[in-house]
Amino acid sequence: MNLKTEVLIIGGGVTGVGISRDLALRGIPSVLIEKGDLASGASGRNHGLLHSGGRYVVSDPEAARECIAENRHLRKIAPQCIEETDGLFITLPEDGLDFREKFLRACQGVGIQTTLLTRDETLELEPELNPNLISAVKVPDGAIDPFTLVLENAKDAEGHGAKILLHTDITSLILDGDKIREVRAKDLLQEEEYNIEASFIVNATGAWANQFLKLAGLHIGMALSKGSMLITNQRLNHSVINRCRPAADGDIVVPNHTVSILGTTSIRLEEVENFGVTGHEVSLLIQETSKMIPAIQETRLIRAYAGIRPLFQSEEKGNDRAISRGFVLIDHGKRDGIKNLITITGGKLMTYRLMAEKTSGLICEKMGKDLPCSTHLKPLPGANRPTHLKERLKQFSKEQGETLCDCEFIPRKEIEEVLGREKLKEFQDILHRTRLAKGTCQGGFCAYRLFGVLHDLKMADGDTNKILKAFLEERWKGIRPILWGTALKEEELIESIYKGIFNL
Amino acid sequence: MHYDLIIIGMGLSGLMAAKTAVEAGQKVLLVGKGMGSLCLFSNTIDVLGNLPNNIKMKDGLFQWIVDHPKHPYSKIGLEKIEEALSSFLSQFPPPYSFQTIDNMNCLLPTGAGTLRPTYLIPKTMVEGTRVDEGNTLIVGLKGFKDFYAHYVANQLKCRGINLQLHDLSYQEITATALARLMETKSFRERIGSEIKKQLQREAKIGLPALLGVHNPMEVKEDLEEIIGAKIFEIPLLPPSIPGMRIFNRFKEWLIQKGVLFLLGYSVSKATTKGKKCEGIEVFHPPVTTSYSADCYILATGRFVGGGLKANNETIFEPIFNLPLSQPPSREDWFRNSFFGDLPHPIYQAGILTNASFQPVDERGRLTLENVWVVGSILAYHHAIDEKSREGIEIATGYRAARHALEK
Repeated sequence: MNLKTEVLIIGGGVTGVGISRDLALRGIPSVLIEKGDLASGASGRNHGLLHSGGRYVVSDPEAARECIAENRHLRKIAPQCIEETDGLFITLPEDGLDFREKFLRACQGVGIQTTLLTRDETLELEPELNPNLISAVKVPDGAIDPFTLVLENAKDAEGHGAKILLHTDITSLILDGDKIREVRAKDLLQEEEYNIEASFIVNATGAWANQFLKLAGLHIGMALSKGSMLITNQRLNHSVINRCRPAADGDIVVPNHTVSILGTTSIRLEEVENFGVTGHEVSLLIQETSKMIPAIQETRLIRAYAGIRPLFQSEEKGNDRAISRGFVLIDHGKRDGIKNLITITGGKLMTYRLMAEKTSGLICEKMGKDLPCSTHLKPLPGANRPTHLKERLKQFSKEQGETLCDCEFIPRKEIEEVLGREKLKEFQDILHRTRLAKGTCQGGFCAYRLFGVLHDLKMADGDTNKILKAFLEERWKGIRPILWGTALKEEELIESIYKGIFNL
Repeated sequence: MHYDLIIIGMGLSGLMAAKTAVEAGQKVLLVGKGMGSLCLFSNTIDVLGNLPNNIKMKDGLFQWIVDHPKHPYSKIGLEKIEEALSSFLSQFPPPYSFQTIDNMNCLLPTGAGTLRPTYLIPKTMVEGTRVDEGNTLIVGLKGFKDFYAHYVANQLKCRGINLQLHDLSYQEITATALARLMETKSFRERIGSEIKKQLQREAKIGLPALLGVHNPMEVKEDLEEIIGAKIFEIPLLPPSIPGMRIFNRFKEWLIQKGVLFLLGYSVSKATTKGKKCEGIEVFHPPVTTSYSADCYILATGRFVGGGLKANNETIFEPIFNLPLSQPPSREDWFRNSFFGDLPHPIYQAGILTNASFQPVDERGRLTLENVWVVGSILAYHHAIDEKSREGIEIATGYRAARHALEK
């Protein structure tokens, strides 16, 4: 099998699928290849914060301006991925009022709507907040489900003719003068290699940008900044809670469905592989976020995870929080003399659509075509689907079969539908597309049941315990840092089941 | 009320201690929050499952004791371990009795289709020790989410079927509900005839371990007669119905022997004076009652049972605040890999005792003279990896009660 297309996109994060959709809506054919599953990098490992821009408004007004514009677009095109919670920037006694004044002025400057709330008004909205707070500024922050956002962009792109190939890596590039003529791709599950010929190649690999560029002998200045987050077992806040002070470790708590996500840290990494959350980071996040929400001290955590922010830097080093969160679009024709290669990196989940628009715009320009962008106008396909728990519970009727996941209320029928609808290749792919294994037990029970269902449906055969063990090993990375109290008790239960009863 | 002996915790070690004391004519109070890990993980009696193949348990234990001087088994000695196991066996006369296969570990199929070594097995599982490819049919039930016949059958290279229970009005059925249904003749006839219809040339049938709580052998024999093939039970996810059988057998017998059996009650406080425990307070909302005894046995289990607790810095024992052996910091509790070659250090943490199972501090000095500590809460074993959970519970419960009696 050899493929030929107009644009080859490397990377199945939100930027990659955003470009895939943008090009598809403009009528330009493309192929996207991703070495793992969709959203397996930073796109699936972040806060899930729908920025108002408030977080950057003082340090980087340009990034804030992009955020608020995209915030408005995303509410229109992806309402199914968004919970309109609003956000509060709270001022604690030790923060002083100087920053608050700067913050209010800066918000006004870029057009972020603000409401100043008194202590009592704030506590009425958010009773779990530290009662010593002075005031809060309300901004249009929100919560966004990045997995669904990525999946829906991909689905819409495919619906408009784009091709998306998962579990496919690139092994080499075939250069022809000032162009990359072909890319050698490898299907990692089938162990099959083939060539893809494309007029343009877009490197949308995020933190992996230099790994790809290395194949072409290129390198760009990038800082890899690890951000770690913790998930609580219950939701502690209605709205997004930020500290009203310059961004620092452990100053944000984002609600997400039935949980809250505590973030973040910022640690420079040299490599993109093998990063985990340390015990020190866990303690730091609890210590800092509990200054805003004291109940965090006593709350059970269910998982720790980290993502890598690909920060573009013009070579000099410094504090990662000071490097712009803005994105960069590199035309390697101008920079390095490879005419048909483009790198899009830096940026953030929030600006993925804008990044895709600029990238696709550059391609159109190079093609000499005048095709307008419409991704900010056309809603994603699932825009009318109910997503909230209340709606899901209503659908919970007798015909749904057993509840496979008791933490997240997932009936067997829902899983069977996903298995029937999507062409999934790996166990983790199934977990990415459902809420299975996202709840309190983190798949301790339902992963086993999912294997049971797969065997029942003849979608699994032979010895699948190897895959079950690999899942439990992966799960371990997320829970090992947070094991004490009730979580530890449950871990003894899980270990007694898998190593004890099942002798795995 | 004053007793000769108060036992805190009614898992297998607490039950064995109570049995041992009551057989010696003691006045015993047994108090427990729940049924312990017995009803979660215990299907059979593990003694030392990680022994090499084809070694007699006696020889394996002998060598283990030589190699692991701090292990609870080494404090008991081979002879007394065997005495304790005999005492346990005597509690289960036929029809639901336990046995070994040639005094060695045997391999039993599990709900994940793996084979698992264990020592004493109930009669309902004996046929499972010899599962040959193709001669066994694994049977599951639609609507029961904790056992998957095809999953098990595919690993064991056998055939699996799922029975549809059409007239059940539930969309989901639990292990305990199924076990109770199995005790009804009409249900057995229905599923028995359905299995018989679907039977091809298989000589054996593996069912999830749900063949009734009260009379499993009657359920088994009745089904065998209907189907015309041998049946065995396969251990599965918790709760463990075979564990409940063990619990119920002890409970009925102990109550009959005059033991005060306070199930569902937790000990809120222990009063100590110098090196003596003077009494405990039992909290059963909204009432708190005080009890005292000459001797006390702590059998509260590990983290699942609540015998050990951990905050984000340290592990502690909540009732007596007894000294523990534990890793220096939280970073050392667990290894980086879940399925590593070595067990996680936290699971070897536990209460320090002398050779008589009395609590001691780091320097080996006795901390409480009239308290004994038994079961999985003890330090220096790794019941999960060793597959020694029930053996340790039985042997230490028995042995510590004996020590308390001698006092």
